[in-house]
Amino acid sequence: MEIIEVKGHSGCEIDVKREDKSLFVYKTTRDPGYFNRLVRQGKKQEQASHIELQHIRIPKIHEITRNEREVRLKMDYVYSRNFVEFFEQAGFEQVAYLIEALIMYLEYEISGSKNETVESLIVKDKFNDVKKKTLSNRYLAGDIEIAEIMERSEAIFNKLEDMEMPVGVCHGDLTFSNILFNGNNYYLIDFLDSFIESPLLDIVKLRQDTAWLWSQLMYTKPCDTIRLHIAFKKIDDEINAYFHEHYDWYRKLYNPLQLMNFLRILQYAHEPKVIDYLKHSINEQLEEF
Amino acid sequence: MNSSKNFNLIVPAAADKAVYEERMPSVFMMDTEGTMRCVRSILGLNLDVFDNIYFTILRKHAERYDIDALLSLQFRRLGLDKVKIVILDEPTATQAETIVRTIKTENIDGAIFIKDADSYFKAEIYPENGVSVYPLEALELVDPRHKSYVAVDDMQHITNIIEKRIVSNLFSAGGYCFENVDDFMSIYDKLSDLGNIYLSHLIYALLLDGHLFRPVKVTDYQDCNI
Repeated sequence: MEIIEVKGHSGCEIDVKREDKSLFVYKTTRDPGYFNRLVRQGKKQEQASHIELQHIRIPKIHEITRNEREVRLKMDYVYSRNFVEFFEQAGFEQVAYLIEALIMYLEYEISGSKNETVESLIVKDKFNDVKKKTLSNRYLAGDIEIAEIMERSEAIFNKLEDMEMPVGVCHGDLTFSNILFNGNNYYLIDFLDSFIESPLLDIVKLRQDTAWLWSQLMYTKPCDTIRLHIAFKKIDDEINAYFHEHYDWYRKLYNPLQLMNFLRILQYAHEPKVIDYLKHSINEQLEEF
Repeated sequence: MNSSKNFNLIVPAAADKAVYEERMPSVFMMDTEGTMRCVRSILGLNLDVFDNIYFTILRKHAERYDIDALLSLQFRRLGLDKVKIVILDEPTATQAETIVRTIKTENIDGAIFIKDADSYFKAEIYPENGVSVYPLEALELVDPRHKSYVAVDDMQHITNIIEKRIVSNLFSAGGYCFENVDDFMSIYDKLSDLGNIYLSHLIYALLLDGHLFRPVKVTDYQDCNI
């Protein structure tokens, strides 16, 4: 039986192993700086795996082992397609199911969260940290366009007031790279801790792909980019319209938090194509303010 | 169906290749009966249903090979007096762009049926959204990589259309109907910046936006490229 290739996005080592008649994924880090984070990810995914939602599945975490050399998660293996394989073949019904499932999952997160006031200082501190790292990134330092982006962004975040938003349940990295597609079931993987544990941050990450085509940029194999773009645009229009209609916090806070999301990616950017993409995307976003 | 609506047949024959500097495009070559392939491509249709028929060609092909004169002769011989030959001064990047330029040049309104110039089939065509389809297994010789495929549900609605990926036994036979030319133009305007757009991309985008397309089953399909 063919075993689908699995790639790690976080620098962790990914192995697929057969035990009896079942397959399991082992995700391992030997970077001590990543130990705590991977443990938190494992616990977050383990907790989330108990949810029961139509179409949405989360692979069960069987073990989290930690010793002085490594941290390792053992989870269910899922036979699946990646987002490109899915979208290259998905008809309108499959795309409609996916939109429905994503909205349902985000609504589940919102219902499990509480509306709270999040101090704007959290975002301002995060921006200061991002600015420092960006300006010390040797691929970005000295770039006039980057300096202007940081200046314009700083002015926006300085004006940011305390934010009312749902806080509590959040995937943390809800991009298409972290969704496995199996028929009309969608498996969410690679949960991550977020600087604000809010469903809004998941919408931001999702639209990082649907509105800004981030995962498509990262995909290096040949694919029908036009078809993907058409599908992503449809999903983005529906997701944006839905949350825009239903939630005041989305209308008020999506733009600044998406800007922050892109700046957080920018701080680590080193590939020219990624830097160009980020500059273009961030400048377009800045026009929204 | 609005019976007063204009129904237009468009045959884009303006593909440009370097080899056409030396050799006439194959769609303008004649069969053993003396009929040009692109003309033959529409003869399996009931042409009475169309109010207008447009053949779109490139000026450089017209000038180099006298294509417009040859076409006019063919149409006169066949008694087709509602055919107009549209001559584009410059090549287009895609078949979709050729159609858009034909629509704009001729101020076409109503419904359009786009017929590939390099295939022949028989079918009843109505001014309704649809894609002509033919089953793969009915062909003796086929290159499956160069076709687009159409998935159909139990209600006989098209659910998917994909370039060069076999997701169904039905492939697009080279006929595409849009009941409202404005839908075609509007979706083209939205997507035209994306690059080499196929008609299947436009139909896919319309499907996602909730437009219904029917499969139009054709008979006697012949691919002139084989």
